[in-house]
Order: sequence, then structure tokens, then C-alpha cells
Amino acid sequence: MARPALRKPERSAATVLTMRRVYVLPSRAGVAYVVLLVLMLVGAINYTLGLGFALTFFAGACAIVDMVLTVRNLAGLRLVAGRAPPVFAGEEAQFELHLHNDGKADRCAIRIGFHPPGTPWRMQAPHAADVAAGTSTAVALAVPAPRRGWLDAPPVRLTTRFPLGLFGAWSTWQPDLRVLVYPFPEQDAPPLPSRGDASAEGHGTVGLDNFAGIRSYQPGDPVRHLAWRQIARLHPSDGGQLVTKHFDGGAVAELLLDFADLPLQLDLELRLARMTQWVLQAEARALPYAFRLGHHHYPAALGDAHRAACLRALALYGQEGFA
Amino acid sequence: MMRLPVLTRDKADTLLLVVAALLVIAPHFAHLPLWTSATVCVTLCWRALLTLRGRRLPPVWLLLPIALLAMAGVWHSYRTLLGRDPGVAMLALLLAFKLLEMHARRDLFVVLFLSFFLLLTNFFYSQTMLTALGMAVTLVVLLTAQLTFQYTGAVPPLTRRLRLAGKVALLATPLAALLFIGFPRIQGPLWGLPGDARSARTGISDTMAPGSMTNLALSEEVAFRVRFLDPAPPQNRLYWRGVVLSNYDGRTWTRIGGTPYRRNADGLTMGLGGRPIRHEITMEASERRYLFTLELTRPDLPVSGQRVATSDELETFTLRPLQERIRYRATAHSDYTLQADLDPALTGKWLQLPVGFNPLTRAMGARLRALAQERRGGTPEIVDAVLRLLREQHFEYTLAPALLGRDSVDEFLFRTRQGFCEHFAGSFVFLMRAAGVPARVVTGYQGGEFNPVDGYVTVRQSDAHAWAEVWIAGQGWRRVDPTAAVAPERINASLARALPAQAPFGLTGLLALQNDKDSWLSRLRFRLHAMNNAWNQWVLDYNPERQQNFLAELWDKIGTWRTPAAAFLLAALVWGGRRWRQARAADPVQAAYARLCRQLAGAGIVPAPGEGPHSLALRVRALPLPEERKAAYAEFLELYSALRYRALDDDERNRSAARLASLLR
Repeated sequence: MARPALRKPERSAATVLTMRRVYVLPSRAGVAYVVLLVLMLVGAINYTLGLGFALTFFAGACAIVDMVLTVRNLAGLRLVAGRAPPVFAGEEAQFELHLHNDGKADRCAIRIGFHPPGTPWRMQAPHAADVAAGTSTAVALAVPAPRRGWLDAPPVRLTTRFPLGLFGAWSTWQPDLRVLVYPFPEQDAPPLPSRGDASAEGHGTVGLDNFAGIRSYQPGDPVRHLAWRQIARLHPSDGGQLVTKHFDGGAVAELLLDFADLPLQLDLELRLARMTQWVLQAEARALPYAFRLGHHHYPAALGDAHRAACLRALALYGQEGFA
Repeated sequence: MMRLPVLTRDKADTLLLVVAALLVIAPHFAHLPLWTSATVCVTLCWRALLTLRGRRLPPVWLLLPIALLAMAGVWHSYRTLLGRDPGVAMLALLLAFKLLEMHARRDLFVVLFLSFFLLLTNFFYSQTMLTALGMAVTLVVLLTAQLTFQYTGAVPPLTRRLRLAGKVALLATPLAALLFIGFPRIQGPLWGLPGDARSARTGISDTMAPGSMTNLALSEEVAFRVRFLDPAPPQNRLYWRGVVLSNYDGRTWTRIGGTPYRRNADGLTMGLGGRPIRHEITMEASERRYLFTLELTRPDLPVSGQRVATSDELETFTLRPLQERIRYRATAHSDYTLQADLDPALTGKWLQLPVGFNPLTRAMGARLRALAQERRGGTPEIVDAVLRLLREQHFEYTLAPALLGRDSVDEFLFRTRQGFCEHFAGSFVFLMRAAGVPARVVTGYQGGEFNPVDGYVTVRQSDAHAWAEVWIAGQGWRRVDPTAAVAPERINASLARALPAQAPFGLTGLLALQNDKDSWLSRLRFRLHAMNNAWNQWVLDYNPERQQNFLAELWDKIGTWRTPAAAFLLAALVWGGRRWRQARAADPVQAAYARLCRQLAGAGIVPAPGEGPHSLALRVRALPLPEERKAAYAEFLELYSALRYRALDDDERNRSAARLASLLR
């Protein structure tokens, strides 16, 4: 039989830690306690101390009671996966977990944390939680999200040594919970693309109406937008670099963010990052934008739902489950 | 009004630990050297002060010299670091110092474990019920301190924590009791007891000098307790024979040494008759080897864990000093002869008298002898004459006799006439020997207090008594109690009644009040003594033998088919009761829903918090289940949502609920 403690736990959105799922071992203090009990027993025998026996047995019984209470501190706890809002790559994903105490006794000093697979005793930055009888507590556990796409919550470990600290009880749970990680938005991205369908009134193209300043050159910037005058002023040895003129678009034209328009020589991730940044910029400036990525075609719109749909498409581009 | 400062959690926790340590060490103050107690107190106060002020703990380079100095102090006080008392002193100091050197969680456990062990050492000195009670309180405080440190979030108020610790203790008690009764007992010691393991105790010794009995008479300490298995003899027959003193040097009576170790008393011929009186004696640790039995008992007593020997004078011994309470059974006979066939030529050692002492008594003895010969009387006549003399000459029985000089017997018999049993017995034997009658002093106890609550007779040190034995040809040794001639109430009742009340608030006044069988004080005392006795018999003296007997007895009582049947019935009742209560407690609709949730959990669906029946129904639909099952679940959920959220009339409600329950089967 495989050791159940080390078996990979099954995924579930909600679970109850039954007695059979809670494991218990003496803590280091508990082992020392056993040594103490033996010493006390030897003392009681050697000096024939009737009360010494009583004290020793009582202390031993307290340890056993402690073991049961420690297990019961976890057993019966109902765990429910909560929300896991999307994040951008490079940020920390927050997984919300709810601990429900349906029992009649308070549960105290429960440590909860992710533990990376393969390291059964380690816990990453565990949180301590108390759950009073008949209530629930929410904890948010963080995990770094380095890459776009889906990020599964790692297995969760719950441990407790309450009440006396002589035993440690633990249990694991694999919450059925994942976070959508959006691509990292490109910093200093070029301005929103110039190409777009002109509106019926035809007031010029987006992004070229008003000169808005200069910024450093980004691969893919049109050559005709390079600010030659500024480039000439600074010798490269003085830290000079290519700079691009930066225009604010007029509000009239409809903006189209089309992935296919980005230069193919750019790295895929960089293109996605740029698209991400453009979506954010368009939202920030309240420019309705159409979005085109692979076979995702979203007509021009604004708002959280639109933004989420676009970012989701970007996050999952080229990945399993991309549809 | 002064307000208590609001303490931060850390401070409050530490103070609780200091209080627990103080509770642990406090009982030891009674026997620790004064400087040790003072050091411990100062250290604990220091710790408390540091905590209150929020200061840092002293560095190791300051603590270490202090601790070493304390160890040196222990050595100076005891001249050793080994053994019980110095060990306890060191542990107490260690605990106090350790509180000043706490940095990690591990240190907390070190403090707690030291406390537990120190609690145990307390029983070297006292194992009374009161000690046990104190121990229980201290334990709960210790447990409270221990669990206080386990909280990671908000710490509930002290009363809640005390209640939790109490709960742990309460849950542990039955288990501890079971362990106490059932855990195999090993008879100690495992290794030689250190020399100071037991301190000297008062009790009958193997010498008798003026004043030795008087000292005992003031001690309320229990010598032994007796349970009679046959009807008890009257008070005036309760002579507990112990030590026989035959040598006299003019001041002190001593035993004849040299013949104690004999397994069977070959030199003893006994004739035992009359009603046998079986009795069981629980003797306190006396540090001596004498066993006391009701006169007259055959000497070959079985005593578990001890080898028993008998001397030619019919004293019963163990080979090792009695370092713990022992229990043994004996059978006494009220009608006996002892060494009736002794060769008179061998009685010389019981006629020995020191030369040059007590001329008056010697002369009187010679007169008595001459008188008896004249009247053709024998030893009984001489004994009677002396007893008559004692009765008629206004002798006084008192705890505070006048001091006696060199010729103590002369002075006592002819001048002061005040004395205690040792005076009467010693003088009587002297006089007998002067009259040519082999005689000796027997010491032991006389009487005892019958406790109507538990039926035990308690014999105390104050019941210590000395009487005489004279040897009569053809009859052997006969007991003669000269004290009975002077103060018969001493023998018929007990010491306290025999002594005249001197001062209303003095010792004797109090004794008299105690001794009034009907006073509330007496009744209270009897209850207390019975409790104490039960405590001794069941807690302190629960040795391997008693454990075996008890378990065997228990097995006899419960080892039938009835016990498992009763246990099974009880378990079934408890289970049924719980089910019934659960069913009663919940709303039937909710109960049905809970049942559904259990069934769905089996299929892998657990409703999320706040998930309604409709969304659950959607998920159920996707389950790989038989269609009729899914249909039943769907109907159930629809009905459930109607019951919960729609306004229904009672009739409709009942019908729906019934249908709901039927759907899950």
C-alpha cells in the first residue's frame, strides 16, 4: 500500500478533512516528553511513590488527550476553494481558500500553506488561522506567477500542534483552483498602432494627430517616426540612443489591435506583451478597440468583460485549452 | 484605585509561566535551605520585573557565574551534589535560572519539563491528599501555560484557557486512572536508595529509657492500621506485641541481642487456643524491622517482598528495614501459653539486675519473696501483691512525671509515684526480678481507634505502650500490665481518656474533645481518617501484590459473559441516542439535504459555499450516473428549492417534504 500521506492528493473544489486524512506524529517536544515520562516512571518506581505513579500516568494521559485533540483540531475541517483573480506574469498569484468549522469546538493555531510537491515537510510561507466554532475563515496564499497561461494551485498543507504542542497533525489538499496569468505588459511599448479603420468622418489615423513627445525606440517602431533631430544631438558614447516621436491619437477613429500586424521577427512573447500593454492603454484612455488574435475576433468595445476576454486570449495563445 | 496595566501577549504569557514555576517550587520551600528558597524567589521576581518592564534577559556571561555559585552553595549546604535533597535543590535553582534564559520555543518546553519533574520530587516529602490536590491545581496551571504558547492568533482570555486546560485534565483523568490500576507495577527500588531517601521516623525502638514512651505519646502519627476479618476483641485486649526488652543497666532497658535471625522459632513452644482472630495490618514505613501483631500470633507471617524472622522472645522481624508501607495478615489467639516448658534453669537472663541500683526496691522484692514462701504462694501471689500495692498507694498516671535520679525505681515507687507506662512496666519488672520472678518488659502498642466509617482500627504512636511479662512455671509467660492497675481507663478506652483534663485549652483538653465519640469534631475526624486510610490503601500503597489481588478480584466480578453484553448494549444505546438526537435536532428538509450532500460527495460533488440548488442541479446533470438517479436528484433539488424559497401552504409543504425523503432511497 502506498503511504497515504505521500500519495498525490486528488483535486477538489471543496473537501472535508476526515479523520482518515489527518495524520499525526509526535513533535520533537513530544519525543522529549516521552523521555521525561520514562524518567518520571523510573523515579516513581525507585522511590515507590504512589503519587509519583499517579502523576506520571496523568501526564501520559494528558499527552494522549493532546494527540486526540490535535487530530480533532484538523479533522472535520471543511475546505473550499475561493476566488483566484487573474494576475499578470511576474506578479504573485493569490489563491483564496475558505476554512469552514462546522463543529462545536473552536479550532486554533492551524497553519496553512502551499507545499511544493516532493517536499512533504516544507511549507511555503504558511499562514496561521483560527476558526471559531460555526464560522469560517478565509486565507489568501500567494504563489509567484512567472509565466502566462493557467497556473494551478500547488497542494495545500494544513498542520497544527494545538493544544499542547506535543503532537503535530497534518493533512493535505489539492484545491481545484487555478489562476489565469496574463502576459506581462510590455514596458515602454510603442504607441497604440497607427493602422486602423478610419471612421466615417475620416479625421486622420489613430495615433498620428498630435505630437505627444519622444520616447526611446522600441523594436517595431516605424522608421519614419524616428526623431532624427534628437538622435543627432546625442552621441552614442554620451548614452545617446534611438528615440521615437510619440503621437497621441485622435478619438474618432476605431482602434484595431491585430496581432497579425505586429512584425513577425519579434519574439512571440514580446508581441503578446505588446498586445497586452496596448489593451491596457486603450482601456486606460477609454478608446474602444477591436481585437484580433488568431481566430479570436472581438469587435471594438470597452469595459472589463472585453478587456478580460482579450487578455484571456493573449494569456492562452498557443496553449492547451486555447479556443 | 490602581488599575492593572494592560499587558501585551508576550508579557502575560511569560508571567503565567513564572506563576506556574512558583507554584511548582513553592511546596519545596518547606525543606530547601533558606538561601535556596531566597535565591529562587529573587530570581523569579527578577524575571517578573524584567518582563513587566520589557527589558532584555541577562546575558549568559552574567547568568553562568550566578548558576555556578548556586551549585557551589548546594555543595556547601549538603556536602554533596548527589542524592535526593541536593538534587531537588539543584532542580529548583535550575528551573528558576532557566526562566531567565529563554530564547526559543524549545526553552519553553525545557522549563515545562523541569516543572513536571520537580512536581514529582515533591512526593519525596509529602504524599497526602492535600499535596495531591495542590499537584492537580499546579498541573492545570502548567497545562494552561503550555497551551497558551501554542496560540498563533488571538489568545483568548485566561479563564477560557484555564477551562481548556481543565478539559484536557478532565479527559485525561479516566485514562490515568486506568493506567494507574492496570499498568504493571514493579516493586522498587531499582537501585539502592540514596542514604537520605527516608528520614528517621518516630516509633517503638529497641530500647526504653525514661521519657522514650512519653515522646511517642505526644505523636499523632499513625503507626499502623488494622482491619479485623473476625469480630474485633474488646479494646482492653488489643495488645500489639512488638519488642521484648530484657536487659537493664539501671537506666535503660534493652533487648537481648544475638538471636534474632531465625526462620522458625524453634525455641518457642506455643499453645494456641480460643477463638482465632484474623486481622490485616497495614504498617507505615517505620525504618525499623519490627512487625506488630495482636497478641498472641504465630510468628511465621507471610509478608510479600520481605523475609520474616522470629527471636526467642517472640519478636517478629523483617530482615530489611521497612522503608515503605507494608501489609500483612496474622491470626491471633486470645487463649495461649508461651514457653510453658521452659527449663527454669534457663530463666537466669530474666532475673538479671544491675548491681548497686535501687536498694529499697531490692529489699522490697526480697520481702515479697519471703512473704510468698511463708504463705506457700507462688508467682501469681507475688504479682497480685504488687498490683494491689500499685492500686492502693495512690500512684498517678501522667505524661509529665517528676524527674528521677540514679535510683529511679526506688524514687518512683517510694517517693514521686508519678509515671507513665514505661515507669510502671520497668519498675514492676525490676521488683519482680528482685522477688526472684523471671520477668521482662514488652513494648508495643495498646488499643487503637476504631473508625466507624470504614471499620479500620488506627493505631498511633500515642498508643505506644509498655507492659510486663512474668514467667510462671507450667504456665509460661503471662502478660501483666501494671499500668492497668493504676489507670484501668488507659487500657479500657485510650490514652486521652486516661489522662486527667488539665487545662481546657491545653493539649489534653483538645484530646478529650476529640475523644468524645459523639461530638461533631469526632465524626468529622473519623471521616477524614477514613478518607486518609483509603488514600493510603489505594493510592500510596498500590503495590504489585495489591494490584494483582485487585485485578484478580475485578476479573472475578466482571469476567463473565454479562460484561461484554452490557458494554455492547451500552454502546448501542449511545449510538442510537446520538442518531436519534441528530435526527431530532435537524429540520427534516435540511437533514434530507445533508443526506443528499453525503451521497453527492460520494460521486465527487461538494456544494460550494453559497451554491444554490439550481447550480448544483446543473452539475449533477453532468455526472456519469444512471438516468433515473439523475432524474431523482433533479427532482429533489427542485423540490428542495421550492421548499426553501417558495411560499407553500402547510399541506403542500408536508407532501413535498415526504416526497423529498423518499427520493433519496
